[in-house]
Amino acid sequence: MEYKDYYQTLGVAKTATADEIKKAYRKLVRKYHPDVSKEADAQQKTQEINEAYDVLGDPEKRTAYDELGRGHQYRAGQEFRPPPDWSRHFGGGNGGFEEAMGGSDFFADLFANLGGRRRQQAPRRGDDRHATLTIDLADSYTGATRTISLMVADRDAHDQIVTRERSFSVNIPKGVTAGQQLRLSGQGQAGPAGPGDLYLEIQFKPHARYRVDGRDVFQTVPMAPWEMALGGEVEVATPSGKVTVTVPAGSQSGRKLRLRGRGIPGKEAGDLYLLLEVVLPPAATDKAKELYRTMAREMAFNPRAGG
Amino acid sequence: MGQTVVTAVLIDEAALTLEELAQACAVEPDWVVQHVRTGILLDDAADDVGGWRFTSADLVRARRLCQVERDFDANDDVAALVVDLSEEIRRLRRKLSAAGVK
Repeated sequence: MEYKDYYQTLGVAKTATADEIKKAYRKLVRKYHPDVSKEADAQQKTQEINEAYDVLGDPEKRTAYDELGRGHQYRAGQEFRPPPDWSRHFGGGNGGFEEAMGGSDFFADLFANLGGRRRQQAPRRGDDRHATLTIDLADSYTGATRTISLMVADRDAHDQIVTRERSFSVNIPKGVTAGQQLRLSGQGQAGPAGPGDLYLEIQFKPHARYRVDGRDVFQTVPMAPWEMALGGEVEVATPSGKVTVTVPAGSQSGRKLRLRGRGIPGKEAGDLYLLLEVVLPPAATDKAKELYRTMAREMAFNPRAGG
Repeated sequence: MGQTVVTAVLIDEAALTLEELAQACAVEPDWVVQHVRTGILLDDAADDVGGWRFTSADLVRARRLCQVERDFDANDDVAALVVDLSEEIRRLRRKLSAAGVK
């Protein structure tokens, strides 16, 4: 596995006090918060920062982490193997843990099961896990089955920590929308009283043509000038298949047509909005230029008249 | 090779109980009760705690509240304000995107 320099991630010295670490963490969390950051890799950075603070912000995990690097000059990204007896000193007591999609192997293998902010009284279920599942909009229209992979860390016969990938199929119910949560019982972290659950937050893959707001879907439809001016029927490829739409004569760019119930399906299905947008044919040939000149001459049209 | 199929349940069809929400957020149930009582979670909660049910949106909101409170040692009102603003930004971004504005 690759060594992670958590001090470098937070930009603090190895001798930093708990207070300095907290300060550095808060500053970075604000800087890379996905709601405010303009950085392209804000999400990735936030994950790294959280991982680093999860370890350095917890006295027990920090001690264990410092112990790992003692006597070595590990650099970030360097190939790394923990000392053989390290996990016996610091390994958690739950006998196996899982890290779902987020988090590095380094973290999953070594720290996911240490420390913790919660007081444990009676034996309890393992922690629930959270991850994001990105699907196509079309999957929500029809329902789908997708394979997901989890990094699972466990102990082998020699009590060494090993990481393996576990894949399983999951059903995507028809009609899911972005932000909705799917719960997979028993797929969370292991615990003395049974495993926790895995929660998957649905996200849609960005699509060149479709945009989504709740259950409503928006689609820009390129139109020729004569289709807008004269109106008529045009065929449009929508997420639920091709439909023939009647465009009213005299439509202007920006006109919105609503196709009721053709958004994301559900008890109250969303609507599909078609935004008409005129695309001018290029005046690339003599013939095309002549047609434009004829229009200019014959139509006496000034779009800025009265403005 | 046959692959295990795990059945996913959509939270809004089988909403979470108080205990399930607390477990999903890694907090004690008291934390949830306190946030419902002060009106930060669930808009119009009945008196009967056992009857409370939480949707996907409640779960996302509760996890964000936990994160802000923990990251910044924020009190619950300040955390609620931050999360309200964050939700408003997301709502506006969805509107912009729907209108075709990058």
